[in-house]
Amino acid sequence: MKVTYRWLKEFVDFKETPAELAGMLTEAGLEVEEVEPRIKPFTDVVVGYVNKAEKHPNADKLSVCEVKTDEGTYQVICGAPNVKQGQYVPFAKVGAQLPIGIKLKKAKIRGVESFGMICSKEELGLEAHSDGIWAFDKEYPLGADVYRLLEEEYQDWIFDIAITPNRGDCLSVYGIAREVAALTGNPLKPIQVKVEEASSERVEDLVKIEIHDTEGCPRYAGRIIRNVKIAPSPEWMQQKLEAVGLRPINNIVDITNYVLMELGHPLHAFDLATLSGPEIHVRASKPGERFVTLDDKERILPENTVMICDAEKAVAIGGIMGGQNSEVSDSTQNIFLESAYFKPERIATASKRLGLSTDASQRFERGTDPENVVRAIDRAAQLMVELADGEVVQGIYDVYPQPIKQNEIPLNTERINRILGTDFDKEAIRQKLLSIQLQVKGDRVIVPTFRHDLSIVEDLAEEVARLTGYSNLPAHDRATIPYDMPISEHERQMRFFREELLALGLQEIFTQSMVKKEEAFAFASEEPIKIKNPVSDDMAFMRPSLLAGMLKAVSHNLNRNNRNLRFFEIGRIFTHFDGKNIPTQPYSLAVVITGNRYLPAWNVSEQWVDFYDIKGYLETFLRKIFLDNYQIILYDKSKYMTPEETIAIQSGDELLGVGGRIHPDVCAVFDIEHPVFAFELNVDVLTKHVLFERQYQPIPKFPYSERDIALLLDEGITAADVVEFVKKNGGSLLQSVDIFDVYQGDKIPAGKRSLGLRLRYQSAERTLSDREVDKYFRQIINKTTKHFSASLRK
Amino acid sequence: MNEIIEKIRAEFLQDSKAIKSLKDLEPFRVKFLGRKGLISSAFDRMGELPKEERPLFGKALNELKKELEAQYQELLNRFKRAEEKGHRLDLTLPGRKPFAGGRHPLLKVADEIKDIFRGLGFSIEDGPEIENDFYNFEALNIPKTHPARDMQDTLYITDDILLRTHTSPVQIRVMKRQKPPIQMIAPGRVYRRDTPDASHSPFFHQVEGLVVDEGITFADLKGVIQAFAHRMFGKDVKVRFRPSFFPFTEPSAEYDFSCVFCGGKGCRVCKNTGWMEISGAGMVHPNVFKAAGVDPEKYTGYAFGMGIDRIAMIKYAIDDIRIFFENDVRFLNQF
Ligand SMILES: [Zn+2]
Repeated sequence: MKVTYRWLKEFVDFKETPAELAGMLTEAGLEVEEVEPRIKPFTDVVVGYVNKAEKHPNADKLSVCEVKTDEGTYQVICGAPNVKQGQYVPFAKVGAQLPIGIKLKKAKIRGVESFGMICSKEELGLEAHSDGIWAFDKEYPLGADVYRLLEEEYQDWIFDIAITPNRGDCLSVYGIAREVAALTGNPLKPIQVKVEEASSERVEDLVKIEIHDTEGCPRYAGRIIRNVKIAPSPEWMQQKLEAVGLRPINNIVDITNYVLMELGHPLHAFDLATLSGPEIHVRASKPGERFVTLDDKERILPENTVMICDAEKAVAIGGIMGGQNSEVSDSTQNIFLESAYFKPERIATASKRLGLSTDASQRFERGTDPENVVRAIDRAAQLMVELADGEVVQGIYDVYPQPIKQNEIPLNTERINRILGTDFDKEAIRQKLLSIQLQVKGDRVIVPTFRHDLSIVEDLAEEVARLTGYSNLPAHDRATIPYDMPISEHERQMRFFREELLALGLQEIFTQSMVKKEEAFAFASEEPIKIKNPVSDDMAFMRPSLLAGMLKAVSHNLNRNNRNLRFFEIGRIFTHFDGKNIPTQPYSLAVVITGNRYLPAWNVSEQWVDFYDIKGYLETFLRKIFLDNYQIILYDKSKYMTPEETIAIQSGDELLGVGGRIHPDVCAVFDIEHPVFAFELNVDVLTKHVLFERQYQPIPKFPYSERDIALLLDEGITAADVVEFVKKNGGSLLQSVDIFDVYQGDKIPAGKRSLGLRLRYQSAERTLSDREVDKYFRQIINKTTKHFSASLRK
Repeated sequence: MNEIIEKIRAEFLQDSKAIKSLKDLEPFRVKFLGRKGLISSAFDRMGELPKEERPLFGKALNELKKELEAQYQELLNRFKRAEEKGHRLDLTLPGRKPFAGGRHPLLKVADEIKDIFRGLGFSIEDGPEIENDFYNFEALNIPKTHPARDMQDTLYITDDILLRTHTSPVQIRVMKRQKPPIQMIAPGRVYRRDTPDASHSPFFHQVEGLVVDEGITFADLKGVIQAFAHRMFGKDVKVRFRPSFFPFTEPSAEYDFSCVFCGGKGCRVCKNTGWMEISGAGMVHPNVFKAAGVDPEKYTGYAFGMGIDRIAMIKYAIDDIRIFFENDVRFLNQF
């Protein structure tokens, strides 16, 4: 909302400077976003007198002039057709800085020298386009600074104010003036309009108004103005409208806009000749109804839109926009002027569904003042008398079957203080409420209809706080907090997982949760969750896996030659949606790696990461979070992993997640050519299996003994099979079985594989003797070789 | 007795021949002269000898010890000299570096915010990102036709299910399951239908705060935000509250911090105002209490929000929000 400093002064006599006023308004909740001077500063432009103006010897359209100032006379070339001897003009001296961004220099034009310039209003930034120089209509003293002269007489400041949706009353100059009056402690001048009703006709005899939809339109008033002369509106009105961002059109339209800006009440002027009847019927739209608005667009009306109709047809969308069929044109003679009050919710819904937001709809949907209906129509009618030579017909046709009541709020001083932490007495509160024109009667506050946003005592508390200034309210520097605030288990677990991932040397990333179709489908085991009105196709689906966002980050980095990546992320994924209830949104945890196994260096040979690297990260992570009972199984059901390089982790019957190599087809979706390895775990399932509370296990007191053996086995026998068998049958002193070597090649028969096993024996009670260990070792080796038909590799 | 001495001497001689460089010397020393070395062990086993033999054996052992120590010293000097003349490590060559990760800067700032509020006695709560209309709007006193719905252009899954536009739904969820006193924050991702540019992202991150108890006032809200500002940006930061409008609070406020770049004098970042807009706050609206089943006659409360992205951008002087979500390692490595 734009208002100007001078316009506000028409209603309140205040002393504050523009900057002071802006500060006060902002502190009171009317945030001033910008204060812009109407006249941009310029220098070295002085009052000059045109001594002589003669035709340029070498150019028809130029004049050679002699301009006199208090300092002397200057020869100046001027291109304006209206320059004449005897004019007082704004004269820009050499060196003048003009608001249009020019610094004036000495010039030679068609062989004649020019020392300065006679300015137009355009060149001084006073209007958008000038046809000639500006000749003053007064004799100012020669050499007087023109900017100073203008500043005193014309300078104004345009305030751009952000109005919150509850303050529809401030979408007008008068509404803001009401705030200014309260804040500066000056009286607000009342608006009193006396309409000269020159015509002897009566409005009731000329038109009939009926409201069929009183819910959507509680009040509708009309006036008729005869014999208007359509013409441009006067300069002062055009200037004010332009200052607040409206384009002047003609006197009638400008008057309705002017009243809209001044009082905040939208009006609509119809060409009376186009209204059949003439009658006005206010009704709700029917399904499928079409209407051509005055911007020449045919619109399909949403059902239940308030429509203004004549005896035959619709002529306006109530409170939003008029119709092409009834708009004021150059040949209009008689005006039917509408001033109505529409129900905010109805206008809001229609405006949203139509995708049509206008100065009128913005005000009606925030709630206008039903009591302003008459004031606004009178103000506009009188302006039509003064500016368009109109003759106003007697009376207002005002249909208002059920007047809207003023809100009443109990003046509960105790509660206001309880909310604000203050100790205002009743009188202090009363004074504040009176200053914004509320009425206080005993223990009740009566709220005028322009402040319909005030309905409960909390609203009064805000008004009291606002008028006191939030900065002046007390602030506590301590609090009384119960010691046993519950702490969130979820937060604690997340921190734990995150810290362990960081300890593995991984980089945390934070990726987008909305992805494009192909990215979502690459990971989804069922239809991914789709956004109905996405920002773009790139963000149309919710990620079914963290990897969807993470691979995007991998791709971004690879494209920029950041090749060695070790990423992790924890976040929500969006999997199952039944169409009714909010979808399951479990937390997920994923690690993605690609590039070199070791950071490249002069003494490190280059090796690429492979399956065993991601498996190592997975195993270490699971050890560090103390997931004790889990199995790693071979897994070929993943949609996005390479089947021969994929494992799954399960605990009991529950799948915790999968790990392995991302399928090259999936990489291709992300434009990735390098091999990428990843694992992803369902955190919600994981937390069920992790023992967060742990107890210390004593460290073994006695030394261990180790024995190594290399077994020659058939290729098909997996390492896990062998290790499991050895563990199961190795006796109670066998602590662990590790694989220290794997060999397949020339040195052993084809179809065979050699596995090097390291067995560790240890007792909690004593040091084991070599003989004892050897005995157990021999026994298990015999069992194992027999079981797997293996032989010992020498 | 002499056999033992001779055996040690012979082994010493044998092993000393195998020493190739300085680094082989230390295990060699440990084996013979260490605290649990062969000589020490021999001393330990002196108890096994007949009493009369012990002094003689001790003397011989001591002599052996001196002899071997001298020889060891000579070996040490020899290899040191050789090492000095020959291949020395070039210590200026770069070392082998392990992968070192780190926290994402946005989450680092979120951690900092959480830690501050934990220190002030707040619990940390969490809620779903896909919400239904009730929690995101209705319960927060934003009915269907409310103009405030326009302020938050919403992404929808169905007519009733949507991507939460703020973290405020967590307020309702917590109040519904927990009786006052409540003192919580809820950090998380929120969504708006904004076209991405330097200052907008269709998803961003907020921290919601809610305190409900008997006797909570606007003065408590002012105090807590002030305390947060001081801990986050230092004691010199000033806080300004301005009246504003949110359907779920009354009175409502917007709060600003004095510009950390110019100290409030005015600069390009704060558009010469000296202030940086942070977010909104206010006293919980009685309609919100009613929707969440809290008695508005008995309890009062305050709520506030803040943008994690915004605070991170201020803290690290970042001027484009999108850089957080590109995850370029050259960016991430700076934190
Ligand atoms: Zn600044």
